[in-house]
Amino acid sequence: MNSYPNSRRRGGERQVVTRIACVVIICAAAVTFGLIVNHGLTSTAGELNRGSTEAWARFDRQQACIYHAIRSQLPKGAAVFIADRDVYDAQRLAELSTLWAVPQPNPATARWTLSLVPGQACSGLSLRVRRG
Amino acid sequence: MSRALFAVLAGLGLPGLLPALAVARSWAVAVFLAPLIGAGLAAVAAEPELGVGGSFVPWYLLAAAMANAAVVAWWFIAPRRSPSPAGPPWTWSIVMVAVLLGAMAVPLIGLRTGIIGYDGNVIWLTHTSLVSGGHRELLAGLQNAAYRFSNPDYPPLVPAAGALALALAGHNDLRVAVQVTAFLNATALGVVGAGVAAVASKGRALPRMAAVAAAGVVCLVGFSVTECYYSVGGYADLLWSAAAMGAVVWGLVLPRNTQSLAVAWICAAVATLTKNEGLAVGLVLLVLIALRYRPLTRLWPRIRPRSGRLGAPAGRAGPDPARRRGVAVWPAARTWAVRAAFVVVPALPGLAWAALVRAIGVRDAFFASASAESPGSRAAATASAMAVHLAVAPVGLAVLVVGCVFLRRSRRHAGLANPAWLWTAGVLSLAIIFATYVFGSYEIHWWLLTSVNRTTIFAQVAVYTDLAIWMVIAFGGGAARAVRDRPEPAPVTARTH
Repeated sequence: MNSYPNSRRRGGERQVVTRIACVVIICAAAVTFGLIVNHGLTSTAGELNRGSTEAWARFDRQQACIYHAIRSQLPKGAAVFIADRDVYDAQRLAELSTLWAVPQPNPATARWTLSLVPGQACSGLSLRVRRG
Repeated sequence: MSRALFAVLAGLGLPGLLPALAVARSWAVAVFLAPLIGAGLAAVAAEPELGVGGSFVPWYLLAAAMANAAVVAWWFIAPRRSPSPAGPPWTWSIVMVAVLLGAMAVPLIGLRTGIIGYDGNVIWLTHTSLVSGGHRELLAGLQNAAYRFSNPDYPPLVPAAGALALALAGHNDLRVAVQVTAFLNATALGVVGAGVAAVASKGRALPRMAAVAAAGVVCLVGFSVTECYYSVGGYADLLWSAAAMGAVVWGLVLPRNTQSLAVAWICAAVATLTKNEGLAVGLVLLVLIALRYRPLTRLWPRIRPRSGRLGAPAGRAGPDPARRRGVAVWPAARTWAVRAAFVVVPALPGLAWAALVRAIGVRDAFFASASAESPGSRAAATASAMAVHLAVAPVGLAVLVVGCVFLRRSRRHAGLANPAWLWTAGVLSLAIIFATYVFGSYEIHWWLLTSVNRTTIFAQVAVYTDLAIWMVIAFGGGAARAVRDRPEPAPVTARTH
């Protein structure tokens, strides 16, 4: 005769436990999301500071300057060998010469040698073009 | 930045809009899906440019025209089906799109700094220039050993989208291509967010609002785990990861229907066309989606001879179980053929590119030579490096356990798939990345230092997305369970007090 109240109580207890589980999940998710979103916003804010923005603007000007220097100092289709000790600068030269000059893997097949050297032309660097 | 936005909206979004509307049947999802479809079409256009000849833009126009013509033809030819069930109210869609766009706008402020990351510069801008240059430049460039540093075998989606942007905006500022990649990252996360919002789109007001908020948070999280430098600096890792996550949410989480399946396929196709990791993970996701939509269990009743307690009485089961098995061979073969088509058709563009670059003699640099380091030491280094970026996994697992114990019925009531699908996808993606590091040829410590934060983006976003989905279900308060667990009314005669 008292099975109905018991089962109702059990159902009520189960509901309370389920509600507690919901609160636990919501809190865990909220804290986790808060931490990661804060991390993301901090990293974005870090990149937006004046020093960083100026550094990237300088880099952009340097890229554009090297791009135009390659096109003004070399004939179209020139076979070039990129001889820059700095791996990143060498790769940048290959990228920026694409569609104008043809980078060669071997100096023997190239007519020009390209490298970036310290200078004033392109924000602290200058394009150095040597024949042969 | 405005030129890049124009390229994404007009160059990629407009040609992708009609297919997106046809696939998703929801303008709110189509807003984010259309640029991804446009980028996919651009990647497809780069394939005949490499394999056949000609320039990129005419191939892109042809691909876009064919895709739109196919949609129009399907509209006229396909038999009229019953109208789809009523979707969420239009105000909900507007709020969702506004929240997602707002969530994306915050990290995209980083574009103001003009970051061009390492990959964005020397890999993707190089490939963008090659795709811009037409067949001869592209073929010669990919085969040129001087460009080997740029991983010439990488898939063409990012360079093709960039090439289209340069065609629209001019070649004077290569940064436009980098910005287009950042906007594509945002749209891919938008598709993931729209999927998370759909979890409770037909529910009560509180879980529905929670779902929209969770969708916005997932967009922010995608950018946050990637950090500003990698998410707006022209890297493709967030793009393939977010696209793959879109495939998981629409194909392995949301209720099974044609629209969800089509959105999942498009997302998986975008992932396979974006990066080599995206191709491997995308294939795995397509297999999982095929298995969810064509489950293996459906096969057993056809093959298993009906006898005894499992089926009809033995005397009525037919004279020869072997013969019955033979009869079942054709449906079984057809089911396997359908499953194979579920995997191969969406992966075809990505697989075609992989075959094309191998046909012209370009090889993957990751496995070019055997490493001098022992697999054990590489595995140990990889495990510890990956673990650092998966710190959220224990929280995700704990929530998974609590959710499965207490909210399983609510999840089932919402029509969502078992979370095992999402976790299997995450674990398998990690296994693929792990194996690549262990059996790859680069010096492991340098390799991990320069890439592990990016190769784990998909797994991280998967855990956060699962958290968001459980949170939305929890906001429902276990309503389904409460209703189902309500005790049966007692017999009238027993109500004595």
